[in-house]
Amino acid sequence: MTAPGPAHEEEVLGKAYDARLVRRMLPYVAPQARWIALSVTLMFVVIGAQLLQPYLIKLLFDVFIPRADRAGIAALALVYIAATTVELLARYGQLYSMELTGQNVILHLRDRLFRHLNALDSSFFDRHPVGRLMTRVTTDIESLADLFSSGVVSLLGDSVKLIAIVVILWWLNWRLACVTFAMTPFLFLLSVLLRGRIRRSYRDVRRRIARINAYLQESISGMLLVQLFRRGEVNRREFDAINGEHRDAELRSVVYESSFSAIIELVGNVAIALIVWYGGREMVRGVLTFGTLVAFLNYTSRFFGPIQDLSGFYAVLQAAMASLERIFALLDERPAITSNPLPAALPERARGRIDFQDVRFAYRDGEEVLHGIGVRVEPGEKIAIVGATGSGKTTLIKLLIRLYDPTSGAIRLDGRDIRTLPLPWLRRQVGVVQQDHFLFTGTIASNIAFGHPDLPRERIEVAARLVHADRFVRGLPKGYDEEVRERGNNLSVGQKQLLSFARALAYDPAVLVLDEATSSVDTETEILIQDALRLLLEGRTSIVIAHRLSTIVGADRILVLHHGRIVEEGTHRALLQARGIYHRLYQLQFGLETETSGPLPLAAPEIST
Amino acid sequence: MSLILRYLRLYRRDFLLGLLCLVVTNAVTLLIPWLLKEAIDALGRGSALRNLAFHACAIVVAALVLAAIRTWSRLLILGASRRIVYDIRDDLYAHLLSLPASFYARRRTGEIMSRAVNDLMLIRSLFGPGILSVLNVALLYSAGLPLMAFLDPWLTLAAILPYPLILIGVFRVSRTIHERSNRTQEQLAEISNDAQETLSGINMVKAFVQEEGESRAFGGLSREYRRRSLLLARSRGLIVTLMGGLDKVSTIMVLCLGALHIIAGTLTKGGLVAFLAYLALLSGPTVMMGWVLGVFQRGLGAIRRVEEIRAQTSDLPGDRALGAGPDVQGAIAFRGLRFSYPNGGRAEKPVLQDVDLDLPAGATVGIVGRVGSGKSTLVQLVAAVYPVADGTLWIDGRDLNSIPTSHLRAQVAMVPQETFLFSRSIADNIALGAPAAPRSRIEDMARLAQITRDLPDLPQGLDTLVGERGVTLSGGQRQRVALARALLLEPRILILDDALSSIDADTEEAILGGLRDTMRRRTTLVISHRVATVLNADCIVVLEDGRVVESGSAAQLLARDGPFARMHRQQQIERELESL
Repeated sequence: MTAPGPAHEEEVLGKAYDARLVRRMLPYVAPQARWIALSVTLMFVVIGAQLLQPYLIKLLFDVFIPRADRAGIAALALVYIAATTVELLARYGQLYSMELTGQNVILHLRDRLFRHLNALDSSFFDRHPVGRLMTRVTTDIESLADLFSSGVVSLLGDSVKLIAIVVILWWLNWRLACVTFAMTPFLFLLSVLLRGRIRRSYRDVRRRIARINAYLQESISGMLLVQLFRRGEVNRREFDAINGEHRDAELRSVVYESSFSAIIELVGNVAIALIVWYGGREMVRGVLTFGTLVAFLNYTSRFFGPIQDLSGFYAVLQAAMASLERIFALLDERPAITSNPLPAALPERARGRIDFQDVRFAYRDGEEVLHGIGVRVEPGEKIAIVGATGSGKTTLIKLLIRLYDPTSGAIRLDGRDIRTLPLPWLRRQVGVVQQDHFLFTGTIASNIAFGHPDLPRERIEVAARLVHADRFVRGLPKGYDEEVRERGNNLSVGQKQLLSFARALAYDPAVLVLDEATSSVDTETEILIQDALRLLLEGRTSIVIAHRLSTIVGADRILVLHHGRIVEEGTHRALLQARGIYHRLYQLQFGLETETSGPLPLAAPEIST
Repeated sequence: MSLILRYLRLYRRDFLLGLLCLVVTNAVTLLIPWLLKEAIDALGRGSALRNLAFHACAIVVAALVLAAIRTWSRLLILGASRRIVYDIRDDLYAHLLSLPASFYARRRTGEIMSRAVNDLMLIRSLFGPGILSVLNVALLYSAGLPLMAFLDPWLTLAAILPYPLILIGVFRVSRTIHERSNRTQEQLAEISNDAQETLSGINMVKAFVQEEGESRAFGGLSREYRRRSLLLARSRGLIVTLMGGLDKVSTIMVLCLGALHIIAGTLTKGGLVAFLAYLALLSGPTVMMGWVLGVFQRGLGAIRRVEEIRAQTSDLPGDRALGAGPDVQGAIAFRGLRFSYPNGGRAEKPVLQDVDLDLPAGATVGIVGRVGSGKSTLVQLVAAVYPVADGTLWIDGRDLNSIPTSHLRAQVAMVPQETFLFSRSIADNIALGAPAAPRSRIEDMARLAQITRDLPDLPQGLDTLVGERGVTLSGGQRQRVALARALLLEPRILILDDALSSIDADTEEAILGGLRDTMRRRTTLVISHRVATVLNADCIVVLEDGRVVESGSAAQLLARDGPFARMHRQQQIERELESL
């Protein structure tokens, strides 16, 4: 997931305040009450200390300068310094405690969200692309952090400050205050009017940059076609049009933005003129001191800033609400597959008998892929499943570890319906080696110990040695501590295969389910892999989706899966002699290829038909 | 750097006029405190109210002028920055269109997008607010300081004493902020990667019962993110405190010293008020300088990255060839062709070697072989997607490298293996290579590619939108649209790179039947996994590990009982299995 695609649910902005969402947010915010209280308290301290300062200047002009009181001036300077120090320290504390609140809230929420995602079942992940889910865990959570760090408290602070200034000026001289604020309704109206336009123009800009993104994304992904079909000139014109529209939207937003800040400045200056004009008259009449006049000038200069800041808040709030909506919608998803509590009677290790009883399954309604599978696997038995692509082999494995539940029928482990078993216990008993050898970022050792993160190093090395992974691992610069990057891209296919065997061996399940990889490896590695496999399957029930002749020949029983049904069952020799589907599959996969030099299959000498 | 100068020159009218406006705005800005001082001092002298009204009116007039010209200056300079970004983005896109496939193989889409979107944002900040702030500060200082000094030189000295400290402090802390902000972003990327990995491997996580472990690991990353965010918040808090503090130091020094000067009679009350106003005017932009420095640093970095892409050139000799020459007839000859991907990681191992083939104009050639045997590469070379050595690939007896790429591509149409449809209507997708094609031709091609039979299922027929915002077509439908797209061009050489793989056998037969006529009139290269598709070809080429292992007609190859015959048998069994 790189660039945002064209407008989707991500772009929808709704209400700036939604009581329902805010209520749901409370449990996450409540634990931070102390920090919030601290932040609010400090905010009041900041405002108090800030607003004291113009008053000190008034005293300077009205009291100390006329009296030529040098000691008083020094004392005043000290008070001023104290006020400043308090203001700055309190501001630091206020900002920090708010950031802390925000970070704690999102830490908590993000953790919760991630755990929730981990608990959702596979069918959920089939329906929701990973990229979309990632946005929830990253971008959406971040916009909540913004709400705290630059939102709530500064909104409160700005409002309190505005009110305090009005009160102070009123108290100093209510008539002059009236004249000064004569401009405010005008300013308020103007800013409401302009702010709406600014917001719309920003949204316009965002929408157009999203179009540029989408167009670029598509052009770059389809560049080969664009070039082969000599579409360069047309695309250049199309892009120019989109790019130009974006520029025009930007220019419009520049107009609003520039005039908005100029108007705020204008209003401030007109207020100064009014104070000079009316305040001057009052001074001449002797009802106003010079200091008060200066204080008025000072307070008004602090009045118009917050008004401007308030405008940014709406957008932050709106974005946060939209994110909250999406986050809670995700948290409302209920997993279709849930775990049962541990019954007391479960042994540490299962015996490993598996029954599929008339198992049917469909990923989507009406598209059944397994049509009544019935088979029993005895403890310690080695089963090979063969079948053409799309016959339902992999699905069978997914059902066994309850990534999905059958649509009807049941699967039993040692006689117990797996739906009644605790999920962790079931999955501890049934180990899976998947075809695509998924490796995680970390080290070689941590990947081998994936199922048992606290496995001691010796056991990791033993597992690796047994499946012949030891030799290549030791050849790596850092051995077992070698980093595995980007899903093991720095390792060969064969190496990854051996590692996933080591991982399964270290997991040591009672039942091993293995989806053999079809990718070809060199002959030497192939021999290692075959030997490792033999060892891996020893002493446990195993079900292998087989692609290797050696696996098939070594199996106690072969099941032939065809179009979602088990159509043939028996030993290799018996099935070959029956000359049914197995025979064809065998010919297809091995029979005709044995003479080529391709590395995929290995000839099995004992086959005779 | 040269890019900055180039665009400054290109938009010199806006920047110069903007500069002029800034000169006026700064003059007027500085005039207002002076008027304030005059008014106050006049009051002190007890002069008439008329004077007062005059000063008040003067302030209002100055404020109006200021608002108008300030807006205009911002419109000029910020506007120019937007236009510059538009220019650069257009240029960049045009340049991207000229870069070859090997470039796109090396770079991830996200990286290129980041140049065209994020980096341009940084460049915009450099040309817009960056230049605006620098000019503003320069003007404000050069006019404001003399004025302040005129009012009271000692006071001025006291006022600007902390400024160097502010600048150094802000600069140092902004560097820390930048670093910490990067580290926070990196951690966010970690979180994102971890989530991506866990969610992509969720089945694995569940199979090994590692939900708890993965959640705990993720929690660890989140906590680290919080730690870094808080560190960042600390430096942000520090910069706010530092800026505020040093600013207040100036104010306090000016107040005390100013009060003493008033008492001593060397300064008027109005003078001190004006002085404080000047100080307020200067401190804001000064504090901003630390930020502006960062804007320039980041902007220059972005310019370097954009220039790096603009310095890339095409590696196709045909892109430099001149003169169109005669129309392509369609005879293709490979002479000892050897090919390995340019700059690829696997550069040592050639994808194709010792390829010698003569394909006469008008022939239908089937190409078969395993995955990775080099089939796609072979046909892509004919469409000049990758560069070949001189003298190894000939079209109508001309070295491919001497034919201008665009001339060649006008007569070669390819349906690539991976169907790519653009988010437009089906008709627009068919007309990709000939946007001006009449509707009737588009419909003809749709019929030829057997799209027409699906039209009743599509909401707006050929005008149905596909892709991201439209309907999702099936693989077979997509391939047929891609086929119609190629047919519309009426190419001399038609290349189908496994282009019918998702189409069922019946439809494929219908398509091939309809195409028989068209195929006879042009050279057609058909790659297929289905042996049946190429059985009727004039010539079949079998590739293995980058070499031609056999070639000839189907009858010849079947008689030889080589790899082709084997494939043929295998697929017969497959079909039988399917029908069981």
